Amino acid sequence: MADTVHKPLEIIGLSKNYGDFKALDSVTFHMEPGEVFGLLGPNGAGKTSLISVLTTLQSPTSGVAKVFGRDVTTAGRLIKSCIGYVPQETVSHGFFNVVEVLRFHSGYYGIANNETQIEFLLNRLGLFEHRNKRVRQLSGGMKRRLLIAKALVHKPRLLLLDEPTAGVDIELRNSLWSFVRELNRDGVAVLLTTHYLEEAESLCARVGIIHKGKLLKVDSTRTLIQSLTGREIHLRVGGDLSGIQHPQLVEKKDDTLIFRVPSKVVVGDVIRDLKLSPERLLDVRIREGRLEDAFVHLLQETR
Amino acid sequence: MSQTQELRWVPFKSLLKKETMRFWRVIAQTLLIPLVNSTLYLLIFGVSLGNSIQVGSGHPYIAFLIPGLIMMGVLNNAFQNSSSSLATSKFHGDLEDLRVVPITNLQIVLAMAFAGMIRGFLVGLVTYSVGQAFFLITQGTWMMVEHPFALLYFLCFGGFSFACLGIAVGFVAKSIDQLSAVGGFILLPLLYLGGVFFPLGNLHPFWQTLSKANPMLYFINGVRYGILGHSDISAVSCAIFALVTALVMFGFALRAVKRGPYQRW
Repeated sequence: MADTVHKPLEIIGLSKNYGDFKALDSVTFHMEPGEVFGLLGPNGAGKTSLISVLTTLQSPTSGVAKVFGRDVTTAGRLIKSCIGYVPQETVSHGFFNVVEVLRFHSGYYGIANNETQIEFLLNRLGLFEHRNKRVRQLSGGMKRRLLIAKALVHKPRLLLLDEPTAGVDIELRNSLWSFVRELNRDGVAVLLTTHYLEEAESLCARVGIIHKGKLLKVDSTRTLIQSLTGREIHLRVGGDLSGIQHPQLVEKKDDTLIFRVPSKVVVGDVIRDLKLSPERLLDVRIREGRLEDAFVHLLQETR
Repeated sequence: MSQTQELRWVPFKSLLKKETMRFWRVIAQTLLIPLVNSTLYLLIFGVSLGNSIQVGSGHPYIAFLIPGLIMMGVLNNAFQNSSSSLATSKFHGDLEDLRVVPITNLQIVLAMAFAGMIRGFLVGLVTYSVGQAFFLITQGTWMMVEHPFALLYFLCFGGFSFACLGIAVGFVAKSIDQLSAVGGFILLPLLYLGGVFFPLGNLHPFWQTLSKANPMLYFINGVRYGILGHSDISAVSCAIFALVTALVMFGFALRAVKRGPYQRW
């Protein structure tokens, strides 16, 4: 069940410096209970640094990071018990097979006999038939599934996914996201860092955009798209187009007029403004703004 | 069992099991090579050259040699176990696991140190068994252990100290080369010059004084006292030194585990 009393994650003025380099610069945001939150940013934006602070791999230079109301710098052990962490890079575990790795990992969380959960994860992630293989014998995709299984052996309440689909084929990506949705329905809050924006758009209720260590914007995915992007209206029109003028007309292509308008403008207003007779209007296509457009727009604004 | 109790014991037991299984999986490296080495040392030094080497205590040279070989095996393997485990984990990238799970620094140090001690003891047992066989063949009788508790004391503190040293070095080392350099250029010479093969009294007084700065000398002489009832250094001095060394090495290991780094090579 979701913890409805405490926020899964609360970051207040968090900074992390490596020498003179500011990996995180006064980052502030929070996650709501049971939420899938996307942290988006280009490579080197500070996403992994933030996750490293949450998992206590790195200590913050200043600021506060709280998980379910507890400070990561003072209650690390308790926090680790309720976090599942999927790192960016796969690991090998040279001497051990899949099921042994999961048993050891359960043990690290204080769970001596965890066969039911291990078997569930092996089946759910398609690893059951590979359970007796040494990890080094697994393909890259299988290794990534194992990372996810490791992160879930102790049934965490907050799942940190650090670029979990980097270099992963479409089938695995889809099965992973359906599993993440399932976990989220069961009350697991998810922090996802990614630069695959279509993933964030389909999964995350809210997103934060981070760049050069600074959090540029946090909002609901829909609001962010609407405020930072427009919509493209493609009208196929019969007859001569040369006389048609409109302030938001950006391109004429064969028999098609392309308009770029703010998200709140409806297509009917544009058609009415053109004063076209209905028989000249052959087709209407609308391309809504994407998170990717919002992301690019925001990054361009900061340059 | 409460959650607190589970977090106290289960993570420790899991890591101990993993570290023990790790060396058991490569038993040819961990036990058979020391078995071959011990046999060769005893054959060359104990049997072939032994008659020409005099030891002051009145024991045959092979009796002098066996305790030294046992302790050399224990110290070397305890160090190797923890340091090579960390090196392998850094190479494979799974060392970060220990940082993101709720296992304490103390549990990490104790689990890795005990695993190193277990490997050291097994190698010690193998060396002792081979030594007994050689002793029986050359002397016609079994070699008795004079002070079993003293023997156990030095084996425990020696194994623990060097497993902890392996943890500290394993964390600090930035590459396999650095790790090999510590083993090859520092530990091995100190072991060879720590009185495994020759009595301290056979050296020039200057070298005798210098040798007393070699920590291996105290561990090796402690074990020699435990088995033969006689050693070049007083057993009390050896015992105090072993205790202090164990505490210092434990401190180094704990500091290394706390500070890392845990990142992959």
